[in-house]
Amino acid sequence: MLRVKMLFWLGVWWGATASVFAQLQEAPIKAFGYFQNSFQQWTQSSDQPQFNTFALQQLNMFLQKDLLKDWTAFVNFEVLNNFSSSKRWGSFNIEEAWVRYRSSRQFNLKVGLQIPIFNHLNEIKNRTPLLPYIVRPLVYETSFNEFIAIEEYLPTRAFVQAYGFIPSAKAKFDYAVYIGNSPNINSQFDNQSSSNERPTGLDTTTAFLFGGRIGVRYGELKAGISATHEKVNYFKGLAERLNEPPSKFEGLPRIRLGADLLYRLGDFSFEGEYISVFYDEGADVVEVDKRFLYGTLGWNTTERLYVYASYWFTREHQVEIVDEQFVKYVGDAGVVTGGVSYNFSDRIALKGQVARVDVDTTLPPEIFSGEAFEVYALAISVFF
Amino acid sequence: MRPECSMKLLLFTFLICLSLGDMAAAQVVVIAHPLVKQENISQAELLDFYSREIRLWDNGEPVVVFDLKPKSEVKETFYKYLGKSISRMKSIWMKKMLSGEGDPPEALETEEAVVKKVAATPGSVGFVSQSKVTEKVKVLIVIEPETEKDE
Repeated sequence: MLRVKMLFWLGVWWGATASVFAQLQEAPIKAFGYFQNSFQQWTQSSDQPQFNTFALQQLNMFLQKDLLKDWTAFVNFEVLNNFSSSKRWGSFNIEEAWVRYRSSRQFNLKVGLQIPIFNHLNEIKNRTPLLPYIVRPLVYETSFNEFIAIEEYLPTRAFVQAYGFIPSAKAKFDYAVYIGNSPNINSQFDNQSSSNERPTGLDTTTAFLFGGRIGVRYGELKAGISATHEKVNYFKGLAERLNEPPSKFEGLPRIRLGADLLYRLGDFSFEGEYISVFYDEGADVVEVDKRFLYGTLGWNTTERLYVYASYWFTREHQVEIVDEQFVKYVGDAGVVTGGVSYNFSDRIALKGQVARVDVDTTLPPEIFSGEAFEVYALAISVFF
Repeated sequence: MRPECSMKLLLFTFLICLSLGDMAAAQVVVIAHPLVKQENISQAELLDFYSREIRLWDNGEPVVVFDLKPKSEVKETFYKYLGKSISRMKSIWMKKMLSGEGDPPEALETEEAVVKKVAATPGSVGFVSQSKVTEKVKVLIVIEPETEKDE
C-alpha cells in the first residue's frame, strides 16, 4: 500500500514538474556571425612606403535569444585588424548588447548599447556580408578608426531608441529617435586618479546625445534625413593657449545633419549620402567643421556578380600649431574607387576593389604638399 | 479536309496545348493555415510578410512564412509576383538577420513539405503549385501568369 502511495505521489510530482518545465521551455539561443579576410596593397605615399598585407579585417559574433513573445536580446562582439591582446594589435569591442520590445510595426523600443539609426550605411557599416566594399566609404571604415575620427562624423552608440514605420498607401514612413552619452567619455586610464575622477568609458558630464532619423520607403526608393545634437568639451584644453576663458569651450553644441538616398531600378542601383558636422557658437576660433559625401552606382550583372563605381569625399576644417601659432586650414580627401563582389554561395562572397586616394590641404606647401596613393584589395567574406 | 488545313489545325492544337501547359506550370497558389481569418491577401501584404516587415495578422496572431529551398519555376514565379528577385529577397533577409530584426523564412525541400507544414502551423503562409494543394490548407490567392509583377 505504501509503495502504491509513493508511486501515486511520485506520479503527481512528475506531472507537476513536467508541466512547469514545459511552461518554462525557452527559445534556443542563436549564435551566428561573419568575418572578412583581406589582402591589401597600398602604394607609396609621403607618410609611408609601399606595403602589402594580409589581415583579418573584421570578425563579428552575434548571440540572439527571444526572451518572451515580444522581447528579444541581442549581443554583437566585434574584433578588428588581426586582434591580438598579447601583441597589442587591433581591437575587440562589444558593439551591441540590447533588448528589444516589439509592440507593433509602428513602435519598437530598444534598450541597451546599440548602433543608432542615422544615415542608411550607419546601420550596416560593420555588416561586411551586406557590403560590396572591402575599404568602406571613409567615415564608415571602422578599421580606419585609428586614422579617421569616425565618431565625429557618426553617432556610433546609443542606449535607448524608439523606432518603427507607419504605412500609408504604398509608402512606408520610417522614424527613429534615440538618446545616448555625450562624447565626453573618460578614456584616460590612470592608476593615480583621484576619487572624483570617473572610471574609463563613462560620460563625465550631464549632457546627452539626442538624435533621430525620418525617412520614406516607396518601392525600391529609400530616402531620409538624420540629425544629432550633443555637447562637446574637447576644446577646453585650448582655452589657455588661445587666451580665452575655458567656459567658452565647455559644452560646445555639436550638430550632425545627414541625408541618404537609395534607389534600385532593375539590376542597377544608386546609393548616396551626405553628412555635415558643425559646432555651434564658440568654436569659430578653432573651426573644425566637417563634411562627407559618397555616391555609389552599382550593377548586378548577374544574380551573383555585383559591379560598382563610387566616389567619396571629406572636407575637414582643422587647426595646426605652426611656430606656436594656430593656423586654420582645410583638408580634403577624395577617393575614386570601383570593385566587384561575387557571391560564390549564400554564405561566401569574394570581393575585389581598387581605390585612388587624393589628399590635399590649404597649408603652405613646405608644411604639406598633398599626396596621392592607390589601394588594391582582395577579400573573402564568410557568413556562418 | 485538305492536307494543309489539317496541318494548320494540328499546329494550332499543338500551340494551344503548349500555352495551356505553360500556364499550368506557372500557376502558383499562396496557401495558409485553415484557421487564418483572412480569405485573401494582397501582393503588398504578402511582400511585407515575406520581407519580415510585418509579423502579425490583423488579429495579433504571429505570421509564419515558409520558403522553398530549391530554385524552381514555382519559386521564381512567386518572387516575381512579389516584384523581387530571389537574390534580392536573400539580401533583405540577411540584412534583417544581421540587424537582429528577424530570421529568414524556414526553407523546405519540397512543395509537399510546405503544404504539410502550413497545415500544421497556425498563422502560417506558403506557396506551392496549384496541383499540390490539399483540403488541409486554405488558398489565399492564385497567382495567374498575367498578374506577375515585373521587378
